[in-house]
Amino acid sequence: MTDASAGIDDLGLIPRKTTTTVAMDFGRVSLDSELILYLFGTPGQHRFWFMWDDLVRGAIGAVVLVDTRRLADSFPAVDYFEEAKLPFVIGLNGWEGQYPHNEEEVRDALTLAPHIPIVRTDARQRESVKSTLISLVEHALTMRVSVPGRRG
Amino acid sequence: MTGEDPGPLVRLFGLTGGRARPPGESFNLVAIVTTVGTTFEQADLTPEYTAVLRTCRIPTPVADVAAQLRLPINITRVILGDLRREGLVTIERPKPAAQAIDERIYREVLHALRSL
Repeated sequence: MTDASAGIDDLGLIPRKTTTTVAMDFGRVSLDSELILYLFGTPGQHRFWFMWDDLVRGAIGAVVLVDTRRLADSFPAVDYFEEAKLPFVIGLNGWEGQYPHNEEEVRDALTLAPHIPIVRTDARQRESVKSTLISLVEHALTMRVSVPGRRG
Repeated sequence: MTGEDPGPLVRLFGLTGGRARPPGESFNLVAIVTTVGTTFEQADLTPEYTAVLRTCRIPTPVADVAAQLRLPINITRVILGDLRREGLVTIERPKPAAQAIDERIYREVLHALRSL
């Protein structure tokens, strides 16, 4: 958190958040000698949306990382990726292994179509992130194979 | 994932003078950046700008410049836009075909992720 975001980033329900919202995280994973996977992370706040249009172009898909303590903040991101017809999965972010809401509650709350995967994840754990990415690529591939011409 | 990393010492918006968008014509993540000539050892450039010029002596995609500098992509873009305006780098559009991903690539990515 910076002073500049006071009153902008609503942390009312998230008392322990002490870190700032970095405009964009970036990762580069060399999968093999010819294949590089780029990971772009971007905050959900509306003022960063101008970055998204560029990121979805040519992308395999997206992970919408959801904090169930403020589920409503995820509505716009879900809408965005549905609109962009980019395959996405919901990553339910757990804190200390706690997931206060189950998958079906979240599916109902976000009015998600049944085919959109919801996976439990911890964005700070390598294995967890890896398995989330695998779910995403599997989903993107399924979408591509089952619905030719459609990417969502 | 980098809990121990204290992060950059200079606030990111400080690097760009508060700007979030690069000057000039837009360019995307896979555009290729190339340093012009060898005259970049200029004393008035900040370390990040000099690092870009050093990196891009070998033509490098925008996304890789960001990765090597460990900077957010849009901060990197502002820096690249500045360098282009000064005539110190060129930024070329990639061929359109480079954007397309076929099914084989999905399967390769999946396979490689599983064996990470």
